[in-house]
Amino acid sequence: MSPRALPLALRIPLLAVGLMVMVGFVASHQVLAALGATQTDRLREIAGLHLGALATALGPAVLRRDVWEVYDTLDRATTARVGRRMLLTVVTDEGGRVIAASDPHRAPVDTLLPADLAAAQNLDGLDLTGLELTGGGPLRVGAPLIYQGRAVGRIVSELDVSDLIAERQEALRLLIWGNTVATLLIAGAGGWAMRRMLRPLATLSRAMRGQVPVSPADLPRQTSELGRLLRLYNRMLEAVAAKAEVERRLAERERFVSLGRLSSSLAHEINNPLGGLLNATDTIRAYPDRPDVVRDAADLLDRGLRHLRDVARATLEQNRFDREGQPLAAADFEDLKLLFAPETARLGQRLDWQTPAEGDDLAWLPAAPVRQIVLNLCLNAAAAAGQGGAVGLEVVAAPDALRLSVRDDGPGMSAEALRRLLGDAPLAPGGGVGLRLVRDLVRNLGGQIAHRREDGWTVLTVQLARGGVPC
Amino acid sequence: MPRVTRRGLIGGAAAFCATQGRADATLRFALTPVILDNDADAAETLRAALAAGSGHAIELVRRRSYAEITALLLEGSVEAAWLCGYPYLQHRAELALLGVPVWRGRPRYQSYLIATAGDPARSLADLRGGIHAFSDPDSNSGWLVTASDLARIGETPDRFFARSFFTWGHRNVVRAVAAGLARSGSVDGYVWEALRQVEPDLTEATRVVARSEWLGFPPLVARRDRMTSAPVQSLQRSALQMAKTIPGRAALGALQLDGIIAAEPALYDGILARMHDLGQP
Repeated sequence: MSPRALPLALRIPLLAVGLMVMVGFVASHQVLAALGATQTDRLREIAGLHLGALATALGPAVLRRDVWEVYDTLDRATTARVGRRMLLTVVTDEGGRVIAASDPHRAPVDTLLPADLAAAQNLDGLDLTGLELTGGGPLRVGAPLIYQGRAVGRIVSELDVSDLIAERQEALRLLIWGNTVATLLIAGAGGWAMRRMLRPLATLSRAMRGQVPVSPADLPRQTSELGRLLRLYNRMLEAVAAKAEVERRLAERERFVSLGRLSSSLAHEINNPLGGLLNATDTIRAYPDRPDVVRDAADLLDRGLRHLRDVARATLEQNRFDREGQPLAAADFEDLKLLFAPETARLGQRLDWQTPAEGDDLAWLPAAPVRQIVLNLCLNAAAAAGQGGAVGLEVVAAPDALRLSVRDDGPGMSAEALRRLLGDAPLAPGGGVGLRLVRDLVRNLGGQIAHRREDGWTVLTVQLARGGVPC
Repeated sequence: MPRVTRRGLIGGAAAFCATQGRADATLRFALTPVILDNDADAAETLRAALAAGSGHAIELVRRRSYAEITALLLEGSVEAAWLCGYPYLQHRAELALLGVPVWRGRPRYQSYLIATAGDPARSLADLRGGIHAFSDPDSNSGWLVTASDLARIGETPDRFFARSFFTWGHRNVVRAVAAGLARSGSVDGYVWEALRQVEPDLTEATRVVARSEWLGFPPLVARRDRMTSAPVQSLQRSALQMAKTIPGRAALGALQLDGIIAAEPALYDGILARMHDLGQP
């Protein structure tokens, strides 16, 4: 599992733990370094006092090469209190030969200083580093033996620093334990605090996944940042819902707008047969005794009334609110033609209407949005084609797809119109919403819109695929 | 003639009284490392015993070497001293015997030639080329015996040993050998035996390679010309009667001695013979 996949409420405490461990490591290193420096200073001071005092006391004896005097002084110094740290002290002449040592077995009189003692550190450059590696000592430190202003020999001591090493190891152990406990405590407390602080975020995350508002009981204080964030989210959700409601109302209105745009055509469509129908009634009244004339007039009345019925039905169908969920059928395209054809007739336009046969499978698509898409595009095409132009609709039904092509021979769509139809940018105030409604409906059906211009025609193609339609 | 003032007279009188008072009350007795000179309790019991026996306050005087004590004695800075037989003989014209301690029933002791405990040497000859610790150049057991033994085989300490040094005390000789500072050492047999009682760890680190013949025990001596003086007489009386007094017996017990008796110079003929071996009168 990738660390980035971990929840924020876990990642931040883990990050805090990591930082604590790092801080603990650095702090421990600093403490040990400071302890080491203190110990080195302490040791340098002790060794300096020891070697300095011995050098002062031994100067004349070394100058005389008085074996006993040197030994006796070293022996007494070694058994003194400070001598407990001094495991061995050796005094050599300027040639490196032993005059006497506190332990003559280690460094016999008149022999050369053993190599390990000859490699003793100088007091000034005393360094305790690495003594742990030798198992805690001893530390060998040396200093020249100056008497009456000249070097008469050298004094080398082995210091027992096991207690200092043990002290450092104990400090390290305590630091490790202390830091571990502190890290765990702080990490635990930090984790708890973080989880508590980030709980609103988890709540927000859940609410966002469910697209539901955060309940008032889960809202933090108004003054906190997260409190403001969650309230902002709730307001945003309300705004989104309001927008959706507005859009729904706009869509509803668009249906009436479409009909509004058709109203004059529809009025003509109703008015035109009315003259014939009234003539028929006059004829019946004038020739009630002529059955053939009455029958013809009745037939005329019947055809006119049926036409009016179809127009009324199509109009009603377009505006019915209970059509949601009704499947698409070939009859829907017939209704659309009935509604749209008078508009083209009014404008003196040529209409090329090619729709699927009755038996084609269209039922996988909902009727209402498809009707709205086709009607809006056709009305738009008719408006673009203008007086005496040409518009056309071609609907091709395949088992898994439906392609709607609307064309006109108008001057082409404006950039603003294309932006409304093909883009998601916010609508500029003042414009219509018909094309944006088409785009929203097509997107909701999982379809795509294509625009092309060829041979003086503007062609808009809507491709609706079966897999794209939400269940 | 210098002018005499009242302040001068008072000061001079006070100084005289003080000098007379110290001369009457305190006797100065010098100690050399012929005994366990590091044992403060033993020295204190000896001082107390001499004070009780003589009726005088006793001030113990110590110096690093026999030579310094001998010099103090000869110049009269101390009334008497516990000295070694060798410096006594060196100055036998000026010094006289006050008494000689009795150790293990006789007024004699031996010089021990010691080596470190693990050393395989069986005689002085086996110690050639080693480092040797002497006690004091004026000590019989701590120098003269070994030097004269070497003289008898035609050697000197400087040639025979790779290095030799003086430790200015018999106990120090034992310390030097025990610690390995020196391979061998010349030590007072009485001191070594006394140490074996009080510091067995020290003597166990050494081994006696050879013992000398029995020689006169280090004597208590005074300047010959002061032998009849009251302070010296009181000191001699106190020493000779030490075994008969409680403080005296305590001192003798602390020093692991039986008593102190009067002695004749002939007791030190053995030491004298060794001096002659070195060409000394």
